[in-house]
Amino acid sequence: MSSPILTRRAFGRLSASLLATTALSPAIAWAETPPGVLVVGQVAEPQSLDPAADTAVNDFRILVNLYEGLVRYKHGTLEVEPALAESWTISEDGTEYTFKLRSGVKFHDGTPFDADAVKFNFDRMLVDTHPYHDTGPFPLSFFFSAVTETTVVDPQTVHFKLNAPYAPFLSNLAYPTGLLVSPTAVAKDGKDFGRNPVGTGPFKFKSWKSNESVIIERNDAYWGDKAATQAVIFRPITDANTRVAEMLAGGIDLMVEVPPTSLAQFTPPQFDVVEQAGPHLWFLILDCKEGPFADKRVRQAANFAINKEAICNDVLEGTAVVAAGPTPPAFAWAYDKSLQPYPYDPDKARALLKEAGQEAPEITFYVTQGGSGMLDPVAMGTAIQADLAAVGFKVKIETFEWNTFLGKVNPGLEGKADMAEMAWMTNDPDTLPYLALRTAAWPDKGGFNSGYYSNPEVDKLLDAARTSTDQAERATLYKQMQQIVHDDAPWVFVANWKQNAVTNDKVSNFSLEPSFFLQLQGVVKS
Amino acid sequence: MRVFFALLFRNRLAGIGGVVLAIIVALVLLTPVLPLQNPDVTAMGDRFLRPLSPGHLLGTDALGRDLLSRLLWGTRLSLAVGFAAAVAAGLIGSAVGIIAGYAGGRIDNAIMRFVDMLMAFPYILLALAIVAALGPGLMNALIAVAAVNVPFFARNIRGITVGLASRDFIDAARLSGKGHVRIVLTELLPNVLPVIVIAMSTTIGWMILETAGLSFLGLGSQPPQADLGSMLGEARAAMISAPHTSVVPGVMIFLIVMSINLLGDGVRDALDPRLKSGALTRPMAATRVARRNVPEAQGSGLLQIDDLEAQFHVGRRVYRAVNGVSLSIAPGECVGLIGESGSGKSVTALSVMGLVASPPGVITGGAVRLADEDLIGAPYARLRALRGNKVAYVFQDPLSTLHPLYRVGDQLTEAITSHHRISAHEARERALKLLADVRIPNPAARLSAYPHELSGGMRQRIGIAMALANEPEVIIADEPTTALDVTVQAQVLALLDDLRRRKNVAIVFITHDFGIVGQLCDRVAVMYAGRIVEEGPTERVLSDPAHPYTRRLIACVPELGGGRRQLPAIPGLPPAVDQLPEGCAFAPRCDRATPDCAQGEIGLRGSLRKVRCIHPEAEVGA
Amino acid sequence: MGRYILRRLISAVPVLLGITVIVFLIMAMIPGDPAAAILGSYATPDNVARLNRELGLEGPLWQRYLLWLWHLLHGDLGRSYALNRPVLDEVLERFSATLVLAGASFILCAVFGILAGVVSAARQYGFADKAITFVVLIGISVPAFFLGMMMILLFAVDLRWLPVSGMYAIYGGGDLMDLLRHLIMPATALAAVATGVIARLTRGAMLEVLRQDYIRTARAKGVHERRVIWGHALRAAMVSVIPVLGIQAGFVLSGAVYIETVFQWPGIGRMLVDAILKRDIVLVQGGVVFVAACYVLFNIAVDVAQSLLDPRIKT
Repeated sequence: MSSPILTRRAFGRLSASLLATTALSPAIAWAETPPGVLVVGQVAEPQSLDPAADTAVNDFRILVNLYEGLVRYKHGTLEVEPALAESWTISEDGTEYTFKLRSGVKFHDGTPFDADAVKFNFDRMLVDTHPYHDTGPFPLSFFFSAVTETTVVDPQTVHFKLNAPYAPFLSNLAYPTGLLVSPTAVAKDGKDFGRNPVGTGPFKFKSWKSNESVIIERNDAYWGDKAATQAVIFRPITDANTRVAEMLAGGIDLMVEVPPTSLAQFTPPQFDVVEQAGPHLWFLILDCKEGPFADKRVRQAANFAINKEAICNDVLEGTAVVAAGPTPPAFAWAYDKSLQPYPYDPDKARALLKEAGQEAPEITFYVTQGGSGMLDPVAMGTAIQADLAAVGFKVKIETFEWNTFLGKVNPGLEGKADMAEMAWMTNDPDTLPYLALRTAAWPDKGGFNSGYYSNPEVDKLLDAARTSTDQAERATLYKQMQQIVHDDAPWVFVANWKQNAVTNDKVSNFSLEPSFFLQLQGVVKS
Repeated sequence: MRVFFALLFRNRLAGIGGVVLAIIVALVLLTPVLPLQNPDVTAMGDRFLRPLSPGHLLGTDALGRDLLSRLLWGTRLSLAVGFAAAVAAGLIGSAVGIIAGYAGGRIDNAIMRFVDMLMAFPYILLALAIVAALGPGLMNALIAVAAVNVPFFARNIRGITVGLASRDFIDAARLSGKGHVRIVLTELLPNVLPVIVIAMSTTIGWMILETAGLSFLGLGSQPPQADLGSMLGEARAAMISAPHTSVVPGVMIFLIVMSINLLGDGVRDALDPRLKSGALTRPMAATRVARRNVPEAQGSGLLQIDDLEAQFHVGRRVYRAVNGVSLSIAPGECVGLIGESGSGKSVTALSVMGLVASPPGVITGGAVRLADEDLIGAPYARLRALRGNKVAYVFQDPLSTLHPLYRVGDQLTEAITSHHRISAHEARERALKLLADVRIPNPAARLSAYPHELSGGMRQRIGIAMALANEPEVIIADEPTTALDVTVQAQVLALLDDLRRRKNVAIVFITHDFGIVGQLCDRVAVMYAGRIVEEGPTERVLSDPAHPYTRRLIACVPELGGGRRQLPAIPGLPPAVDQLPEGCAFAPRCDRATPDCAQGEIGLRGSLRKVRCIHPEAEVGA
Repeated sequence: MGRYILRRLISAVPVLLGITVIVFLIMAMIPGDPAAAILGSYATPDNVARLNRELGLEGPLWQRYLLWLWHLLHGDLGRSYALNRPVLDEVLERFSATLVLAGASFILCAVFGILAGVVSAARQYGFADKAITFVVLIGISVPAFFLGMMMILLFAVDLRWLPVSGMYAIYGGGDLMDLLRHLIMPATALAAVATGVIARLTRGAMLEVLRQDYIRTARAKGVHERRVIWGHALRAAMVSVIPVLGIQAGFVLSGAVYIETVFQWPGIGRMLVDAILKRDIVLVQGGVVFVAACYVLFNIAVDVAQSLLDPRIKT
């Protein structure tokens, strides 16, 4: 070969010549699956299929097809609508919720879904003395830590009592942690329920082979519209390149989290790329307490200096949009549309640095090798380093594997670093600012405010928004918060990720949800 | 030093490796002054440019950085790290291995269990621990990679050391009162060094690759700094859409690994003293033949050697080991071939069946006829059919000439089954009979013994039995008794003599000992510097040597009962056979030499007795 | 021989115990804990503390280790935090997959490495020698993940001869042919480096052996050259090749991590890495014990093979 570069076309040629010389019969497609069976390429092996035990988006993608909660996110939004509950009422003070349940619903094991089942689910997670509390651990049970008591009013009515008004409660019920499992099945399988899941959803569990596949089948007894496919096979394929290769070879029909650099491989009509912005924010935590970033002007300078357009459009190949502030636009009702991202303006950055008297601040920058929602952290970190260097920053990068990274960043940056990458995916506009921007959320007080940002006004707004049950009022409070945080610049707001997926031409009627879940009951595989 | 390089470059592949490596090293040394772009400057608009794009010879990476520049800077760093890690791992590992192997016993056991522990340990865990303890960075990656390789070296080197520690020369060093440290440094180390060098050279490339594997743990160079490993790691995401970002560092790693390996081979060979004699090249199945013409038969012996010439071609030098030797052996006759070592007697004997190691040996002229069939240049299949069948060999030092891993019986039966299709049972019967023939007691038990379980005399009897296996017409015995003590020697000689008489086998007996010749041989030929200088019936030659060299050689033999007679050694050394003087090769050492001895070709005169001398000590007649 | 094996087996016990101690210490030393890894974004100190309590990760390190050891002696390897299932189930499943892969690739690298080394030595400096050296060095210098991906692109994506990844077809399949089809690429890619090392080593050993006197003896007997090379010479060369086979087995096991990732092979190498990254200490321990035991057993087997081959070695 004259050129050492193996392009895809060169490969084609190479294979053609190999075919010619070996005179083998035409290519055989091993990966054929029959119509009605959808194969989904997942990014990892699920940890468990017990919704109360799961924490990863990857697992949620399977869970939402097996189980349902009292409420769910409306298609294409992050707004809550009825699911297994037909309706609900909230008391004036926002501490009592009463749900009217759908009747005639049965779990996959044939047992009826009723108020007792709902109570079982929440008590299992929340009550230490519950006989099945030991089937945990339940890492996300704190989503419902405000619940003091769950009571069965009648078989079709269930009542929750909260210790204080807690606005995100409904949204949390729509989150996978609020999905409801069959009490009988938990009693039967105990700790192993996570590998023998039983819910009420449009699909029921068939089999799980470690690191090979999870297979779910159509639930013909489903109360709503029956699933359009006979079965769905979830295959964990950890390596992104391999996932792409499987997609190209036809081994999978649908893949999520397509690596940005591979998007160009998937062209119509053979493939279809689907995108959906979600409640995700990729940002840089700046140490507001000590070092160069203690000065607001230096923090703003960093915001001006970084070419976020280039990062989103080039490094991430358009799979993300530039973030304007701490709240992702996916929370449409809480997002302040008037907020504009810091423009890319190196001169302004230099001017601000000069004004602050720090023309060549030295900073240490924690970069991770990869992690949940971190997109392409090393390349992004390197691009950021180059941009900052261009305006005078002297940046020293230190890279860490994800859990080591979290172990370094979560206890606070003080004394170690000035800047760190971070990303969050949440289900409610309350979560991220409440856990990472309040003074009461400094690491030593049990939060994730690793950059020690503190603004009493922000604290007040967030506290108020959390206890209000009126969405319009909450929206106003969040918008005010966004304006202040945007100006204070405790973070560099970099990107909001647009989740993507690719389907082949046999798949139709597929769309992604802003929640990052993967609802498959409507998908058709021909 | 010049010799070293000459040897090194004689191996063309090693030469290529050396040149490639030199170019790479020169490039990376020059990197700071080369007009390269800044390797860290990003240009998002220019990402993933293909090689040969304007301004970017090798294209650009995911952030639009110039790949050529990053490649050279990265190679610079990776070579340094790979080299340092290999040296560190090699030094520590070898030290541990040598200590364990030399000390043996409990120390060895403890160390090796620890090494086992490390080897069975997932090194990714070790690497993570190092990041945790020391923080990220290339230096720590170096430590991790080196640490992972220490047990590999330790195990390897220990194995070799154990083998060496039990050898005689180590025992000798111990007895001579050398300290342990000195023995290790002066006796052991030189012998394991080539292995260490090779192991190190093969691991450098691996270590560079391994840093790519570790980069996802945060080990390795910190962005934006480039090293080959992290370049590969970063390119991985774009492997399908922009493979050149992987191929560029990949090719560089390949070049480094290959050049280091080839060079390493060359260095090992050049350091190996055996190579200088050409011995490290593998001998082929039959000696190479390059002769211009086939001489007429000069006699009608069963084995008729005519004007045989054999040379060793080592590099540009030509060692003329055999220069026109003619010899005739009749059935049942025993002819002695005598001379100092290096006189060409063994080469003459080995040439008969094409057994001279080749390369470097070449038969350049003459003929060897067995029953009028010329064997020089005969096809391999023909040679093989005759070897051991019509012409059999008995070699010196039966410990090294018997295969150490085969049972004696198997080696014996193999000699038979190589030429005769017989059943295993029959072969065993014949092997038993052969052992009885050479008077080995309890032959059935001996059949299943390994050579190292037998005594020297016993082994030589096995060797003789093997030679007799197919009732050959000629046995060529190449100093078969040299390694044996005197009583065993006498037994073996008696055995050979008896066999010859009973089975009418012709024997060519090669030795440097006139004493043995006198006991056994009908005729004797004396060789010096690749030529026969005297030939004749044994008693005549012994009682009345014609060639001054023969006389001196005979004088070296202690006479039985002769008391403590002075053994006059022959002054001087035989000539180097790559620089043979004109005329008589012995002239420089000869007390009868005159100026005309060093002129022209001196022929072999006489018929029954022959001598190659113009001032013979005795007349040999016409 | 039996006593020797028994003695080696007994001496392997402290090695394995030592490994578990080191694993425990290292896992305790590296930052991040399993609870935080499970909780991800929600790893507040409160939540971490609560979860650690539920996972039974309280108490001093040595206590936890002794507890683990106590359970181990009762055949209980514990329960994985990250996977919510008994460690033994997971490890057995994954380990058998790795055994298949590593076993196949070990056979490949031993057979082809020795074959290439012998041919290379027999044709020293000839074309075959140079060609083999070149190919073998490519094998040594190409990163496994690169080689693996190139094979996938060529044989699975373009030619569609072989499946891209996995151990069995997820639909239909499941028989031996299906396994072999899935096994070809990963086993080959995994064998590449070790094949190179073994080939070069065999070549060197063969060259050394071929100039020994006993080879000349064999030739002088009229033994056929084929048998001289593949019998007499190879047998003697194996004495120095076999110990390295043992070492290479370790490398094959650790190299399996990358190959298992690229080919999505449900093996233990990938499991260990995931478990380490998730700080799933119990799963790491279980996996390491199995891998280490396997390695130790294999090396005992190698030593036994060595002493069977070479009668001069006393056991």
